[in-house]
Amino acid sequence: MAYSDKVLDHYTHPRNVGQMDKGSAEVGTGLVGAPECGDVMRLQIKVNPETQVIEDAKFKTFGCGSAIASSSLATEWVKGKTVEEAMQIKNTDIVKELSLPPVKIHCSVLAEDAIRAAIGDWKKKNGVQESSAAPMVATAH
Amino acid sequence: MTQILAQSAMAECWACDTQNDPAAYLCAACGKLLPSDSTDYFALFGLTHRLTLDVAALEKQFYRLSRKLHPDLYTRASKEKRQWSLEKSALLNDAYRALRDPIARTEYLLETEGIRLEEQSRDATDAARATGTDKQQVIPPDMLEEVFELNMQLEEVRMAAASNSQDPELMANLEVAEKNFTAQMEALQQQLESLWAAWDRALADNDAATKDAAKQAMVALLNRRSYIRNLVRDVRQALGKS
Ligand code: FES
Ligand SMILES: [Zn+2]
Repeated sequence: MAYSDKVLDHYTHPRNVGQMDKGSAEVGTGLVGAPECGDVMRLQIKVNPETQVIEDAKFKTFGCGSAIASSSLATEWVKGKTVEEAMQIKNTDIVKELSLPPVKIHCSVLAEDAIRAAIGDWKKKNGVQESSAAPMVATAH
Repeated sequence: MTQILAQSAMAECWACDTQNDPAAYLCAACGKLLPSDSTDYFALFGLTHRLTLDVAALEKQFYRLSRKLHPDLYTRASKEKRQWSLEKSALLNDAYRALRDPIARTEYLLETEGIRLEEQSRDATDAARATGTDKQQVIPPDMLEEVFELNMQLEEVRMAAASNSQDPELMANLEVAEKNFTAQMEALQQQLESLWAAWDRALADNDAATKDAAKQAMVALLNRRSYIRNLVRDVRQALGKS
């Protein structure tokens, strides 16, 4: 299958590969897997405790080119966003940006899962309440 | 009323007027090719949706049917019948390929039960997003950790191999991992077979609750299996065994 130019770019020059200190209170870690193919992804964020802005993000993915590109893009996108803003990133945004074909949608799902899991971990560590309602509902009151 | 419905659900043979099962593609009376719409893999072989099946018998049946459906037999038949024979032959090949393989057979059965294996992860993510809850990962977190950790080691081994500086301790670890995961694959196969048996019994008893439980257990098993299968493959490769 032919990869799009953007996938190839992220795949050959992945941004933000690496890891951060899992034990740090400012770091949230998301480790997720895609049961469809058995690929795994770890995405970490470092959050400023004052502003809740994500100041840094790192990933490590063992999977296909689309999964690597999706996670690389995800780290670029979350940087500079607040955690609540980052929660709004959807896998379909990634699909669009990278022009992923239908069979590669689950790879983008993996990246969204990783963002959400990293934020969830950070919230748990810092005692931040999970918003119980969907963001759409919350803004639509 | 019910009689008319039952009647119309049967497929009449164009050659001898015999009423055939709608899934049948060969007339039960005269053996002629029928225009069946059924695409059910099991039905093509005259089987119910039992998962435990005799692969040797399946193979025999496959060759027998292939001969009967073979397009060469229909070169002088009407265009319509040539079309049927082409379609059925292709379908029979797909069906045989799926049913003879334990995993593909299980996946196919689950698909006929409306389980979207390929979409389950996306569906769960959609649900988590909509409700603002954490997505439940389909395999336990400690297994994910283990998979990730092993992948890190594999990467190290590959890099070491490239620079010709293999760490013996790491290689020994991988040997252990290979044995361990190969054993897990075998155990999964055993578990799958007992789930087939549970499914087959529930199917015979028309026991919806047990059928459901068996289906869910098969989904969980296949999900675990994807990870272990990859690990076995990658570890063997790193050890130069494949
Ligand atoms: S093929 Fe599995 S993440 Fe892409
Ligand atoms: Zn007939």
